Amino acid sequence: MSLLTAGMPEIQLDNVEMRYRTEAADVLALHQVTLNIAKGEFVSLLGPSGCGKTTLLRLMADLLTPTGGNVTVAGKSAKEARLARKYGIVFQSPVLYDWRKVKHNITLPLEMMGVKKSVREEKALELLELVGLQGFADKYPWQLSGGMQQRVAIARALSMEPEILLMDEPFSALDEFTRERLNEELLSVWSKVRSTIVFVTHSIPESIFLSDRVFVLSPHPGRLSAVVDIPLPRPRTSGMRNSQQFYDLVSRIRGSFEGV
Amino acid sequence: MMEGSPATSLITTGNESLPAELETRTAQRFRKVPGPGLWLPLLAGMLFLAMWELQLFHRLFDLKKYQLPLPSAIYEALRDNFSLLLSYTGYTLAEAVLGMLIGSASGFVVALAATAWPRWGGGSLTLVAALNAVPIVALAPIMNLWFGDGIGSRAAIVTATTMAAMAINACKGMSAVDPLALDLMHSYAAGKKEVFRYLRIQNSLPYVFTALKINTTASMIGAIVGEFFFSSRGLGYLLSNSIKVAKMPLGWSCIVLAAVAGVLFYLIVERLEKVFIRWHSSRRA
Repeated sequence: MSLLTAGMPEIQLDNVEMRYRTEAADVLALHQVTLNIAKGEFVSLLGPSGCGKTTLLRLMADLLTPTGGNVTVAGKSAKEARLARKYGIVFQSPVLYDWRKVKHNITLPLEMMGVKKSVREEKALELLELVGLQGFADKYPWQLSGGMQQRVAIARALSMEPEILLMDEPFSALDEFTRERLNEELLSVWSKVRSTIVFVTHSIPESIFLSDRVFVLSPHPGRLSAVVDIPLPRPRTSGMRNSQQFYDLVSRIRGSFEGV
Repeated sequence: MMEGSPATSLITTGNESLPAELETRTAQRFRKVPGPGLWLPLLAGMLFLAMWELQLFHRLFDLKKYQLPLPSAIYEALRDNFSLLLSYTGYTLAEAVLGMLIGSASGFVVALAATAWPRWGGGSLTLVAALNAVPIVALAPIMNLWFGDGIGSRAAIVTATTMAAMAINACKGMSAVDPLALDLMHSYAAGKKEVFRYLRIQNSLPYVFTALKINTTASMIGAIVGEFFFSSRGLGYLLSNSIKVAKMPLGWSCIVLAAVAGVLFYLIVERLEKVFIRWHSSRRA
């Protein structure tokens, strides 16, 4: 899938610059980033720590305001898109509310939007099934493992049926086995909801396995150094991780980093 | 004060075999046979009373019996004045509970304001802390002048002495919120009011209960010391009078009842805490 599929990009960054001013120094976190993400596309923002990939995601989420350039999300400014609840977000840690049962964590956004209780309960069960956590509705977050908690966080982000899903290294705190399984589960969820996904990661194989396109970022200053199309067919299977094509993509992306 | 911030969710393990782990936890929780944890302190307490009754402490510290009455004498005084002592305990406890509820509620409101508008709300915290620093000796005549010599003046004293612990603790609980949890609220386009309703207030609950527990004992002290000055009823009144006329066993029976009432009050709040914050990490067996 590429830009050809949609007329108007879902997310558009135009010459975006992010500068952090501290007393000690003036840090340029992002330098002139221009990119387009099409509707329904799965893209990754890939790079080492300090390359500004999380900053870039937070700009799309309007949790940060750029010091230069424009961010357009779903045809609106990033702020309008946030206020219109156009995206769901998943962070590196699950950030579940400890005092809410799993099902009430999932429907938190719906509760805040004033959705009726019966509808919410139904939605919670539906989403729990989607992320493979049937039977855990009435548990508290601490009763779940890290991987399960992160699945709850994904279900929560999906509960308002957002057009866009922003994911900030959602699986990086998990072990390799859980991470690979959740990668496959995420793709299967995505094949059902078909939202646009922006996925931040520092793992090259993870970005390749998941994405249609990988945006490679380099640090000092954070900038977009390459955009790599991932022509692997869908649905993706774990066997593809061992294919020659996969290895070629890994080395191609590794070669595209500048100054690391 | 608290074991870790309540908002941080634990990333435990990557493995998904947790239900089994849970069962063992539950099993451990129910396998509570009265072990050394119960009878050891009980034994120590009885030993202590026996040593006291046998005047071991009197010899050790060179005390006369009028200076430290024997447990048997205290028990006699308690038995002989039981109905009076019981009604006075109820009276003092009513002052303590009433003042503690008003004080804690207003402390919580101050915390809400201080968190919502930190610029001038921070000042109100300082004000409450200052109020807390006023000694009861100074508060008693003022409150007596304002509220008369009934239950109201002591409730007011207790209010003044319990507000700060709640305000400071609750404020901490409302502001010590996981930054990502706040980001999440922003992503839902939540306003200030919703952030309080869905995040800050729940986040403060463990801190609120810590303050309530501190306030149970503080409120008993406030009520009893408050009664020293202008009251004509209550444990504090009887205590100070008994000591003045050298009725030491009666004075000591007041102390015993005050302690019992204080512990009961504390246990009730602790029980409530268990009901209200079942989800907290300190409950994780």
